[in-house]
Formats: sequence, C-alpha cells, structure tokens
Amino acid sequence: MQLSDRVTGAVLVVLGGVAAYAGSRLPAVPGQDVGPAAFPMLIGIGLVICGVLIALGIGRSFEVAEAEAPAGQGSRRLAGLRALIPPALLLFYVLAADRLGFLPTAAVIVLVMALALGARLRLAVPLAVVAPVLIHLAFYKLLRVPLPAGLLPVPW
Amino acid sequence: MNGISRRGVLGSAAALAATPLARPALAQPRWPSRPVQMICPWAAGGGTDAVLRIIAALLEKEFGQPFNVVNRTGGSGVVGHAAIAQAQPDGYTLGIITSEICMLHWQGLTEITYRNYTPLALMNNDPPGIHVNASAPYKDVKALADAIKASRPGQLKASGTGQGGSWHLALAGWLVAMGLKADHVRWVPSNGAAPAMQDLAAGGLDFTTCSVPEARAMLDAGRTRTLAIMAPERLSVFPNIPTLKEVTGVDYQTGSWRGIAGPAGLPAEVKAAIEPALGKVFQSQEYKDFLNARGFGMVYADAAGFARYMEQADKSLGDAMKAAGLAKA
Amino acid sequence: MTEMLEAFRLVAAPDVPIAILASAIYGLVVGSLPGLSATMATALLVPVTFYLSPIAAVATIITASAMAIFSGDIPGCLLRIPGTPASAAYTNEAYAMTRKGQAELALGAGLWFSAIGGIVGTLSLVLMAPLLAEMALSFSTFEYFWLAFLGLMCATLVARSSPIKAIAAMLLGLLIACIGMENPAGTPRFTFGIPDLLGGVEIIPALVGAFAVSEVIRAMVTPEPPPIPRRKFGSILAGQWQLTKKYQLPMWRGNLIGIIIGVLPGAGADMAAWVSYAMAKKFSKEQEKFGTGHPEGLVEAGASNNASLASGWVPALLFGIPGDTITAIAIGVLYMKGLNPGPTLFTERADSMYALYIIFILANIIMIPLGIGMIRVATLVLRAPRSAVMPVILLLCAVGSFATGNNLFAVILVALFGCLGFVMERNGYPVAAMVLGIVMGAMVEQNFITSLIKSDGDVMPFIERPVSGVLAAMTFGALLWPAGVWVWRRFGGGRLPAAETPR
Repeated sequence: MQLSDRVTGAVLVVLGGVAAYAGSRLPAVPGQDVGPAAFPMLIGIGLVICGVLIALGIGRSFEVAEAEAPAGQGSRRLAGLRALIPPALLLFYVLAADRLGFLPTAAVIVLVMALALGARLRLAVPLAVVAPVLIHLAFYKLLRVPLPAGLLPVPW
Repeated sequence: MNGISRRGVLGSAAALAATPLARPALAQPRWPSRPVQMICPWAAGGGTDAVLRIIAALLEKEFGQPFNVVNRTGGSGVVGHAAIAQAQPDGYTLGIITSEICMLHWQGLTEITYRNYTPLALMNNDPPGIHVNASAPYKDVKALADAIKASRPGQLKASGTGQGGSWHLALAGWLVAMGLKADHVRWVPSNGAAPAMQDLAAGGLDFTTCSVPEARAMLDAGRTRTLAIMAPERLSVFPNIPTLKEVTGVDYQTGSWRGIAGPAGLPAEVKAAIEPALGKVFQSQEYKDFLNARGFGMVYADAAGFARYMEQADKSLGDAMKAAGLAKA
Repeated sequence: MTEMLEAFRLVAAPDVPIAILASAIYGLVVGSLPGLSATMATALLVPVTFYLSPIAAVATIITASAMAIFSGDIPGCLLRIPGTPASAAYTNEAYAMTRKGQAELALGAGLWFSAIGGIVGTLSLVLMAPLLAEMALSFSTFEYFWLAFLGLMCATLVARSSPIKAIAAMLLGLLIACIGMENPAGTPRFTFGIPDLLGGVEIIPALVGAFAVSEVIRAMVTPEPPPIPRRKFGSILAGQWQLTKKYQLPMWRGNLIGIIIGVLPGAGADMAAWVSYAMAKKFSKEQEKFGTGHPEGLVEAGASNNASLASGWVPALLFGIPGDTITAIAIGVLYMKGLNPGPTLFTERADSMYALYIIFILANIIMIPLGIGMIRVATLVLRAPRSAVMPVILLLCAVGSFATGNNLFAVILVALFGCLGFVMERNGYPVAAMVLGIVMGAMVEQNFITSLIKSDGDVMPFIERPVSGVLAAMTFGALLWPAGVWVWRRFGGGRLPAAETPR
C-alpha cells in the first residue's frame, strides 16, 4: 500500500474539500455566532492546503528514509490481500460472536491468524484452544465483560 | 448466562436464535430463575452507574439471583437506551433509563420514546439548582431574576451542561415561565457540570443551572452559592436551599431523573415480582444512605406513577426544547 | 501529629495493604493489555469499592491507576502497541530501543521515572495543594484554548517525518474528533445516520486500531524480522541510576510539566506525556537521536504522566472538579465513602488525607519491585514467535475495545482504524499525530467556541487576560520560530551553527 505523495496528497485535498463543504451545510445554532460549521470548515481548508503541499513534494526533505525491509518475495498483489486478513477477522468477530459465542469465534480468529503467519499446526491448534479460554477467564470473570456464550457456554 | 448483548433489531434476532441453545429448555417456574442483566446507558463510574449498581446489589439480595450491571455506552445514551427497549421482553434484561429518553426523540436522534418501555419505578430525581459565584451581587434568586429581566438579551451567560442538555432546558423553561424568551440568557455549552462550575468559580459565567450534588464541592468550598432549586419542595440533604416558588412565586420545576424499566410488554408475572421489590429497595436504609451520601434527590414513584411522570416530563421537556429552538420540527 | 499517627493506623488496617497489593497487580495487568486503559481499570474497580472501607476503596483507585499508566508502556515498548493513550507519544521511541536490544532499559526507564514522577507529584499535592488549586481556578476557557493549541503543536515534534505530513495527520485526527454530537452546538456532525457515531469516535478503539491492528497488518505483509539480539542485561535499576544522573534536567522539567498539566482540569496524563516528550526533543542537545531509541524523551515523558496523575487529585479533592477521567471516577467513590471533596476534607478529615498521601507514596514505591517482575515476565514475549503473539494481540484488540462500552461497534471502528493506521504509516504519515488530534480535538473546539460565546464574538479576551496573553505569546513564538529560522538560513547566508553543537 505504498502510494506516491501525489496520490495521498490528492486524497487529502478531496477529503478536506468534502469536509469543508459538508461542514458549511450544517445548520446554525441559535445563540451561537460560531456554529458547528466553523471547525469542520477550518480543518477541511487546512487539509486541502496540506494535501496540496504534500502533492507538490514540499517538506519531503525532512523525511527520514525508513529502512524498510523489501516487501515479501511473493507477488505484491497477494501481499495486499494478506493485509486484509486482520480487519476481516475483526469483522468476522462482530458478525459471529453473538451467534457462535465467544470461544468458537475467538478460536477461529487465532487459528486463522496463526496459520496465516506461518505457524505449524502443532503450535496453532493448541494456541487456538488455550488463548480464547484464558482471555475469556480474564475478561469474563475478572473484568465482568459480558462476552456472549453462544453455542459453547463455558462452565464457569 | 444469556447471549443478549447486542444492539439493534438484528442483534436481538441473533440473540433470539442463540439463547435457547445457551440455557436448559426447562419450564421456568418463577422469575427470576437465572441471572438478570441490567443495562446502564452511561459509562461506568458515573452517577447513573452508581445508582444502578446499588439497586442491582439490593435486588440481588432480595431475589437471590445475580443482577449484573452492563454498561452499554455510546451515542450520547442512545445506544444503551435502545438496547433496553429492543431487548427480549422476558424479564431478564432490564435497565435504568434517564431523562434523556424524553429529550433525544425531540431532537430527532432516535425513534425510541418512553412508550417503548415498561416503566417499573422512578428511583431518583435531581432538580436543577441556580448557582452563582460567591462574590456575585445577587442576594437571592429574586435579585438574580430581576437582573435577568433588566438585562439585554444575551448579556448574561449561564452554563451547566452541553447544548440541549437537561440543565440547558431547565434554564429555558425557567426563562419562559418568567415570561421571557428562552434564549434571553445566553447558554454557554460545557462538557458536563464540573467544567461549568469551575468556570463559574473562575468568574467566566453569571450563573449555572446544574444539580446541587454537582455543585456541592464548590458550595462547600465557599466558592459558589446556591440561590434556589427548581423543585416542588426542599431537598432533605440541603434543607437551607429554598425552592424557586418560595422566593419568586414562579412555579417551575424539572429535573434529571433516573428510573428502572424494561422493554415494552414485560410479562405480568415479572412486573408483579419486581415492582414491590423496587419499592422495598427504595425504602431500604442502604439505598437511603447511598442517595444521601451522594446528595442525590430522594424521589420515588411506582410503575403507574413513573408512567404518568414520564408522560408529563416528555411534554414539558418537549415544550422547553421547542421554545429553545432545539426540537426538530 | 496525632493526625499523622492516626493516618498510619488507617493505612495499617489489614484490608488496606491487601487492597493495595491486589489492585497493584490488577492495574499492572489491565494497563498492559492493549485496549484497556487506566481509566477503564479504574472504572471497573468501582463496583468492588462498594464493599471496601473508605481508605481501602480510595487506595485501590490510586494504586491501580498509577500502575496502569506505567504498564501501558510495556506493550508499547515491546510490540509498538501503546497500552494507554498516555504512552502513545513515545511508543515509537521505546520500540526503537527494543529493536536495539535495550527493552529492559527502556521499560526500566518507564518504571523508574514513573515512580519518581508519582512521588514528586504526590509531594506537590501535599505541599502546594491550595496554591495549585488557585492556579486551576484561574484558568478560564480562554487559557484552555491556548493550552490545547500548544498541545496540538506537539504533533510536528513527536514524529520523525515531514512536518507537513504530521500536520495533515493531526488535522485528520481533529476531523475525526468532529464526528458525533458531543460538540458545543450539540449538533450531530458526520454521523451518516449511524446512532453509534452520535457519541463520537472514542479514543480507545481509535488508538487500538491505529497502533495495534496496524501492527498486526504489518506483520502479515512483512517477513519476520531477525530476532532481537539478546544482550545480557544486568540490574534494571543500575541503568536507571545512570540515566537519572545524566538527564536530571529533563526529569525535573517532566515532573513540573506533569504537575501543572495534571492540575488543570480536562488535560490529564495523556497531554502531559505529549507535551513533555516534545519539550525533551525541542531542548535536547541530541535532537537527531530522537526516534532512534534514545532514552531522554522517555525519562521526561515517563516522569510527566505519572506526576500529572497525582496532581490531578488537587482540584478533585478541593473542589470536586476532576483533573482527568480517572479522578472523575474517583470523586464518585469519595462521595460514596463519605469523604466529600472540599477544603474541609483537609481540616476536619486530616487523618484520612494523610492516609491518602501515604498510599500515594506507597503505591509508587511498590511499583518498582512489582514493575521489575512485570518487565521480566513481559520481555518473554520477545522470544515468542510472531505467529503466536500476533493472533492473541488481534483477539485482545477485539475484546478490549468491545469492553470499553460493551458495544460491538467499537470492534468495527478498530478494524477501520487498523487499515487507516497501516496506510498512513506506510506513506510516512505519523499515526501518533492523528491520535493527538483525536485526543485534543474536543478540547480545542469546546474552549474556542465557548470563549467566543462568552465574549460575544470578541477576540480580545484571548490575549487580554494575563495568563492567556502569556500562553498566546508562547504559541505564536513557537509557531513563528521555525519559520524565522528557515528565512534566516535561506537568506541570511547560512551562518547558523551546524545542527550539532559541540559539547
């Protein structure tokens, strides 16, 4: 996801413009001279200016080139897809936690992550069993967070 | 152990599918036969949270089943209030609802109103006070009222909470009751009562209209004075503070209240069990001690009374919001 | 004197030491889990305090919050995932030290200077509470506006990237802070009709997403880094003594800034850490080393955030006004336990007050042995394979953010901020600056708008009042200084001394 400064700068210009426009359309509030519109507009304009400067490459001299390891040997497109695994698993948690319950959902997340990072099954499977149970104990019993029971209620 | 912990209709449907698997499918003899979840729409550590936790602890003692408090925050109270209203009406999800439920829908922020609940009991009400800086020239609330009437619109500044919050409406309602326009005194929105009280002590405001417990420390420190409260009678913890009506004759009263409720359509059996229990909780020494310690107003109404109370509050808050230009047409 | 003896007796009651020890361990664990902040640790303790004696109840809150603020440094240092917002300012620095094999030194600095900051902060509470309280009361919204503005300007200092990108990231954070109806107008902004957004984007999901999840994503696309060289590291404390001698000035400056910011309601430990880290960098003789694993900033910011924690109790105890979110919760507990805040607390309940001071000192002292144990255990994580650590972190991100409000929407936010943080990091936009924007956004807007309302639109009070005038001058000075230097260098013939001054 390395983009050129032109692209990110342009994104900021668009975002700032949209924010300023949407902000300017907010209704005024009785009794307030500076209403809810002022701040989004100010920030939006600031973002537009920053975006233009970044797109033009001003200020780049300050940047310290990061010693970035070369991206994986595999094709870049595949690497991009791998990046989506963690957020996708979080969304899976949102959708599945109530139906499946915490323990199965968490086990799936840990297993998929571990395997995706190249763990052997010998490590991944025990981890997927033990980690959710420990986290459930800590959060449900100690911190009293109402984790859903779902299909597999815990004995405690 | 139940699985209802999800907002929205979709969530309730999902929970509906999940719960039968989670508990034994036995006929339930008597409510409550398993732990009850009590939802608090406000964050842990706040006043509403404390009130609910003490009630839950006392109910637990009464029924011998755990009453677990769950804070469902977000959306300025909308999320938690919706979670109570949209829970399965089986008596195992109840919650505490606050005066915001009679305000949010006027602003068009939620569809849910007090009608979406089964009211069980009103447990507390904090009337707004009128507080001024200790060095302010106003001797009593009459002097302040005269000063307000004599002032240019917008000249005096008051605060106590955010724009459209309970205390803002209290000010608007009071001004209207005096025959003035709702925005005759300029409202300075603040992030809760504490910053407003600080600014009052720092000399940045003319007066504040938050509740007396919120102003208490400044009052005790001698930095501010409380001129009156907008309530039908004096508070038991602060017997020296007169009511608005006593001093000015203007009878305006409102408050920030808290009550226990469940989703609409609670079974009669549940209502029959919990209503007297809540009455007992309110009468208990522990609850009284707690309210007194925090300085919270001791006001109770049973289920029918709470329903009437909310109906009236909804109308009066709605009128105040319309007068202040805060309601969505 | 009798009150002092009575205070010792109160603290020696059997339940108090147990409460301190238990809440210390609890605070250390909760603070070190990504997603669970010090505020959260405190809030979760409230139901427990119902069953404790007054002194034990307050002791749990004091101890747990101090421990949690320190242990928030641990995941930040080891995995580049700050445990609490207060650690976000110097996370990259601490992580860079870990990459150099100095994890123990970095964490030890966090621990040692946290304890010092906590003790100095307590002394300020003991010796100068009335004075500090007067200062807090003299701050009106005009002063807060400048203070928040100065805080925002730290964005360009804490990051090792182009200042323009840092400002852009900070503005993005401010824009995110605009979401919701918690603004002075009470108008819903940018909520897209989603009720969950009415309350705005909470800082914890944003922090967890932007740091922790983006780190997990980074692990997915980069090959496993070479193992960190295992250096034999002797006593953790010995190294700290050298740092203390070497960086005395930053340490004291950190303590002072922490005390001042802590006393001012609404700012708190998060801001103290940012400002102190930025100050350390600005006034350092070795500016270029910042960001590469240099302990100087850790010394100052570590001392600062714990000092602010103690001084935050000053307005809370005297006026019932919370200095930060932690004391906001503590005030409720004080009332519950009959220790009503107010000046009378210092006179009529002097024994309880002394007991609180003793607990503050005790908590900061036992932090050192317990913290060392925690560090020894936590550094084991560095030896675990990445494929075992990252899955657990991701799970903790989900559960921890859910726990902030028992709302699954927070988990969605975490996922979104994870993607955003990853993309920003890749393209040289400092994530920390965005977090700063989110933290400070509400404070800047709130104080700007309310000041204008109070002055009927007049801007003069922003510079007329004595304190706001000074703050305004500082702000403009800091704004114009770099520009002046640039103009001087560009047109003045470059006769400025080189960046590195000989020592």
